[in-house]
Amino acid sequence: MGNSFTMLLDGFQTAFTPTNLMFGLLGTFLGTLVGVLPGIGPALAIGLLLPVCLSVNPTSALIMFAAIYYGAMYGGSTTSILLNTPGESGSVITALEGNKMAKAGRAGAALATAAIGSFVAGTIATLLLAFGAPWMAEVALTIQPAGYLSLIILAFATVGTLLGSSRIRGLVALSVGLVIGLIGADLQSGALRLTFGNLNAIDGIETVTVIVAIFALGEALYLASRHTLVPTEVLEMKGKAWMTREDFCRSWRPWLRGTAIGFPLGVIPAGGSEVPTFLSYGVEKALSKNKTEFGKGAIEGVAGPEAANNANAAGVLVPMLALGLPTSATAAVVLVAFQSFNIQPGPMLFQTSPEVVWGLIASLFIGNTLLLVLNLPLIRFWVLLLKIPTHYLYAGITTFALLGAYALNNSTFDLQVALAVGVIGYLFRRFGVPITPLIIGVILGPLAELQFKRALQISQGDWHILIAGGFPKIIYGILLLVIIGPLVWNFKKKFAVAK
Amino acid sequence: MEIPQGSSIISPQTFPYMVAAFTSLVGFGLIIDILRGRLGVPDGDEPGDPVIPTNYKTMAIVGLAIALHVVLLDISGYVIAAAVCFFGTSYGFGSRKYLKDFGISLTFALIVYFSFTKGLHINLPSGFFEGILGNGK
Repeated sequence: MGNSFTMLLDGFQTAFTPTNLMFGLLGTFLGTLVGVLPGIGPALAIGLLLPVCLSVNPTSALIMFAAIYYGAMYGGSTTSILLNTPGESGSVITALEGNKMAKAGRAGAALATAAIGSFVAGTIATLLLAFGAPWMAEVALTIQPAGYLSLIILAFATVGTLLGSSRIRGLVALSVGLVIGLIGADLQSGALRLTFGNLNAIDGIETVTVIVAIFALGEALYLASRHTLVPTEVLEMKGKAWMTREDFCRSWRPWLRGTAIGFPLGVIPAGGSEVPTFLSYGVEKALSKNKTEFGKGAIEGVAGPEAANNANAAGVLVPMLALGLPTSATAAVVLVAFQSFNIQPGPMLFQTSPEVVWGLIASLFIGNTLLLVLNLPLIRFWVLLLKIPTHYLYAGITTFALLGAYALNNSTFDLQVALAVGVIGYLFRRFGVPITPLIIGVILGPLAELQFKRALQISQGDWHILIAGGFPKIIYGILLLVIIGPLVWNFKKKFAVAK
Repeated sequence: MEIPQGSSIISPQTFPYMVAAFTSLVGFGLIIDILRGRLGVPDGDEPGDPVIPTNYKTMAIVGLAIALHVVLLDISGYVIAAAVCFFGTSYGFGSRKYLKDFGISLTFALIVYFSFTKGLHINLPSGFFEGILGNGK
């Protein structure tokens, strides 16, 4: 613990150099900018800005990503409240009450409780991250490949079955991701897999290309196919972005409860920010003295889920940094960002690159504070962005996404891949298949294979090693609960209805 | 697939076969799900919402704009490819102020081109504007 504290202070020293501070500031600005734009969530935001950052040194670039991460999260809530078009699943709930508040002329209070709640939750959760992640990494050092494989499979199951309305569709998305992850030369033997003679495919499919294309191009094609060109109504900001004393009294408990719900659900692979924000909303509704206000613009319904969303975002970074296991699309992109600088998150990270990781954690604190200081006064500027006409907005997003796909390797092949993945993204949206499991499959598939091979190499090919020892058994036990639990639950419900 | 000899205990085919088995299994599950009448709910809709008919024309225009970018990039260079893509997408999304769209498309492409090549030193193909725009470095 004491060690973490000194390391964190060193991290602040890294983050507080003028250059890094400037990158942090730039990141907060860019993150909020793209986060505010409807149709761009945090994952796409980081994916789009990745090529921009590749010309910077790793520490500065990752500090900038940290700022973009929180900034995009923050910007997303602005869109939800003023436009009722949440950019990512974590802000869906915010739109529920936040947009009603804005319609009632209380946009200022809604934005303020979202911002301050995000700040409070982000600060507490980042503190927990700073002390929890090194501890988890130390424990993780003792995990054998077979145990690691069981963790990955658990992440597959939770991300695959908890997202979206249909479990089978989540697993379909996961399997498509796994197949994409297989493409290219096998790392150990060099055997070519699924390349079909295409020399460009030997190095595999670029993950960033997949992410950018599936979000940006898939969304553009989908919206065009539905031709929903009804101009969305931007609500005017009346008054200042600030809260009354009563708003404060009604907000601070939801902020803390949201943090308590969001952080742990981020650390365990519970499948993104949907579950915690829904849970927090439910809890606030159940505990509120003003139940009748829910659905009409209750401030608790903004404060709690927004805090849960941000605490969740920090929680997700714990397994991402300590185990190298991303459990949300956004964490997956951050992982890719690390990898593009040849830094591999995982148990060794805190030993091999302490400067980078502690600089990153320190800059999460700084970014969080900058957001609060900068954004409430700048809110009118961000609102102007919402007035960009939809056709220019999507033209810009599409063109920029293609640039991002190309600039990574200067390769036309990557652009062809982007087009194909964009079509997959369209089909997924049209037929109700969730996107995140695909991304998790692309990133964790190769890792799963690596651990699988390592385990079998240790045992000289004896498959029993995969379930040998206590740790994998516990994890597979949890896996069974995750799979069977909801089935039993559904069966009971049906049974009760039939009676 | 050619497998180099003796490199590892585990064949590089083992894991792909496992993925293939899993993919077939969930594919089969999906077919059953659909046959039982559980069609997917389009993104953003609630179950039971009326299905919005697909507008193939607008979708094809946007798809074409993206495809043109892919094809044109190596032929005409970044600026034209990006401008065509921007213009095509905004047309697909219903914009019909051609002159304004054209101006914005070209401005967007030029700003991106110069800020990437000159500001960030990321190389983009200059195409046949090489003489005017510099060699993209």
